[in-house]
Amino acid sequence: MTVSLSCMEYGTQGVITEIKKYSRELNALGIRVGKIVKMVTKQPIKGPVVVMTGEVVVAIGIEMASCIQVNTDIDPAYIRDK
Amino acid sequence: MKDERSMILLIGNPNVGKSVLFNRLTGGDAVVSNYPGTTVDYTKGTVLLDKKSYTVIDVPGAYSLEARDKAEEVCVKMLEANKNAIAVIVLDATRIERGLYIALETIERGLSAVVALNMIDSARDREISVDSSKLQKILGIPVVETSAVSGEGLKQLGDMIRKARPSNIKEIKERSEGKEIQPETGSKCPGCCGGCGGV
Amino acid sequence: MTLTEDERWALVDRISEQVIKSGTYKQSLGDVLGELTVKPLTGIPVAVGVLYAFWSVFGSFAGTLCTDGFFVKFFDNYFLPWIQSVWPNPDGILYFLFVGDPNATNCFEAFGVLTSGLFVAIGVVLPAVFIFYLMMALLEDSGYLPRLAVLVDTFLHKIGLHGYAIVPTILGLGCNVPAVTATRILETKKQRFMMMTLIALFIPCGAQLGVMIEVIPESIGYVMLFLIIGYFVFGYILSKIVPGENPEILIDVPPYHMPQRDNILKKLKMRTGGFLLNAVPFVLFGVLLVNLMYLFGFIQWLSDIMAPMFVTWFGLPKETAGPLVAAFLRKDLAVAQLSVIEMTQYQMISAVVLISIYFPCVATFVVMLKEGWKELLAAVAVLLSVAFIYGGIIHAVGIILGVA
Ligand SMILES: Nc1nc2c(ncn2[C@@H]2O[C@H](COP(=O)(O)OP(=O)(O)OP(=O)(O)O)[C@@H](O)[C@H]2O)c(=O)[nH]1
Ligand SMILES: [Mg+2]
Repeated sequence: MTVSLSCMEYGTQGVITEIKKYSRELNALGIRVGKIVKMVTKQPIKGPVVVMTGEVVVAIGIEMASCIQVNTDIDPAYIRDK
Repeated sequence: MKDERSMILLIGNPNVGKSVLFNRLTGGDAVVSNYPGTTVDYTKGTVLLDKKSYTVIDVPGAYSLEARDKAEEVCVKMLEANKNAIAVIVLDATRIERGLYIALETIERGLSAVVALNMIDSARDREISVDSSKLQKILGIPVVETSAVSGEGLKQLGDMIRKARPSNIKEIKERSEGKEIQPETGSKCPGCCGGCGGV
Repeated sequence: MTLTEDERWALVDRISEQVIKSGTYKQSLGDVLGELTVKPLTGIPVAVGVLYAFWSVFGSFAGTLCTDGFFVKFFDNYFLPWIQSVWPNPDGILYFLFVGDPNATNCFEAFGVLTSGLFVAIGVVLPAVFIFYLMMALLEDSGYLPRLAVLVDTFLHKIGLHGYAIVPTILGLGCNVPAVTATRILETKKQRFMMMTLIALFIPCGAQLGVMIEVIPESIGYVMLFLIIGYFVFGYILSKIVPGENPEILIDVPPYHMPQRDNILKKLKMRTGGFLLNAVPFVLFGVLLVNLMYLFGFIQWLSDIMAPMFVTWFGLPKETAGPLVAAFLRKDLAVAQLSVIEMTQYQMISAVVLISIYFPCVATFVVMLKEGWKELLAAVAVLLSVAFIYGGIIHAVGIILGVA
C-alpha cells in the first residue's frame, strides 16, 4: 500500500517511492527515494512529522510530508538486510 | 589579499564538528553547540603547520551549495571568494552519506581538499564501520579519521592538510564503479594515494 | 565536469555502499530519551518542566541567592554608607554624578555611577547573566533545542515562522545581539525580518530579566504574559502584511550528547567575560549620561513634551519617559530607573513592557544594521508603531479590568 508520509502510522516503516515536491531540500537532509523511513512521531494540530532514516532523524512540516509517497508493504527481511 | 593557497576552509554539513575542529586547530573560540546552525557567520583564525602559517576559516554548515538559508549562503560565498583555498571537508562518520553530497560539490569546484572523517568515536559506539582507506582511494584525496572532541587524529589531519589536492569527479565516478585508472593516479598523485592509506 | 543532482546522489550511494558497514543497530539510552522528548504526549510535559526549571533556577540563584542574599546587603549596608561618607562635598556636581542622592538608603535610589551603576551591573545583572548562560549552554549542548523546536512548531507556524525560530528566540533571552545574527538559520527574507523584529520587540534579554526579577518579582509574570501575547499577536499580523513566503520546518534532529564540561565552561567564560567587558562599562556610562541629562534639564524637558502621550495614551506618570533614554543604552538600567518611580503595580507592568518593546538597545540596533539597513528601517517603523499601539491597548485593558 502506498500512502503519503503524513498519513503513516506511528512506529511503521516504509520505502519512499516518490517525492513530488521539495525534493532538493528533502534529499539534502537524507530523505530520498528508495530510503526506508520509520515514523517516530506526528505532532497534533497539523504539526510536523518526525521520521528516522538510517541514523538520521528529521522533522518535516506536514505539507512537505504529504508530498512524500511511501510504500508500507515491505518485507521486514528486506529492511534488516539494508 | 593574502595568498589564497594558505587559506583553509572548513566545509561540511551543519553539526558535524567543524567549529570544534576550528578551535582545536587555531586555539580559537568559535561557539560549539549540539544543534545545526550554530555557526551563522564565518570566523577566522591561524594555524602553523610545518612552519607555514595558514588562515583557517570556520564556515557555517551547509547541506549543499544550493543555499537554502542565509547561513548556507555565507558558506557558498566563502567558497567563491577563496577558489584556491584548501577545503577541509568535514564528514560526520555516523552519517557519511548525507555529507558526501556537499563533499562532491566542493571537489567538483576544483578545490584542493582533504576529508576529516569526524565523530569517529560515535561511529565506533554505534558499531558503524567505515573503510576510510577505500574512501580515500575512491575520492583520490586524503581521508583522516578524527574525533575533534578527544583530539584523536588531529595531528594526522594537520599533516594531511599539506597533502590536500584537487580530484577529478569523472575519475571518482570511474573508481566508484570499480574501474582502475592506475597510470594517471600514479603520476598525478605523488605520495598521496598510496602513501597515506594507513591512517 | 559537473554532475547533475541525481547523478551526484547516485555517486554518493555508490560510494557509501562500498565504505560504510553498519553493525546491528542498538538503541542507546540517548536515542530512547530522544524519542520520548519529541513525542507530544511525553515531550510537552518535559518541555514545560524544562522551562519551569530554567525559570526557577534563574530566579532563585540570581534573585534570591546572589542579589538578595549577598549583594543587596553588601551594597546597601556597607558600600553605600561608606561611599556617602568618604566622598567629599555632597552638594557638588561630582557627588551627584558618581554617588547620587546623599540621603538614599539603598543603591537603586541613589543613582550615581558608583552606587546604582555598580550595584545594577555587578550585584544584579552579573549573577543573572551568569546563571542564564550556564543553563542556556546546557540546553544548547545537550541537543534539546531542535526537539523543543519540533514541539513548538505548530504554534510558530501559525504566525508565519516555524519551530526552529525557537533557537533565535531562546538565544535572545540571553542577549538580543547574537539572536539577531542567528535569524540567518531561517529560510526566507520574510521570516528573517519577522524574527528580527519580534526579537527586538518582545524578547527581553537576560540582563533585563535579571533586574525585573529583582525589582518587580510579583509583577514579572504579567510582564512576560504581555510580551508573549504580543509576540504571537503581532507575529500573526506581521505574517499577514509582510510579503514573502513562510516555508515549513525541515530540520535535522541530532542525537543527544552529554554536555562537555570544558565546552560549557568555555562558553560561560566567553559570554560572562563579554558581559563584564562590554556591558558593565555601558551601564556605568549610562548612569553618567542620564545624570548629566538631568543636570542639564533634558530629561525634565523630555518628560514634559511626552507627558500628553504618556499620561493620556499610556496611562503612565510622565516621569516614566526619562528611563526611555537609558533604555536605548541598556534596558536593564532603564528598568532599574523605573523601579524607583512612584506608580501603581499595573502602571509598573505597562511601563516595563513599554521599555522592552519601544526600541532595541544600541548594541542590538548595530547588529540589525549589519543584517541590512532597509530591514532595519522597516523594523524600526514597526517597532515604534507597535509600541504605540500595544502601549495604548495595555492601558485600555487596565481600564477595563479597573486596575489602570
Ligand atoms: N562524539 C563526538 N562529538 C563531537 C565531535 N566533534 C564535534 N562533536 C560534537 O558535535 C556537536 C557539534 O559541533 P560543532 O563544532 O558546533 O559543529 P559545526 O559543524 O560547527 O556545526 P554548525 O556550526 O552548525 O555548522 C557539538 O556538540 C560537539 O561537541 C567528535 O569528534 N565526536
Ligand atoms: Mg560551527
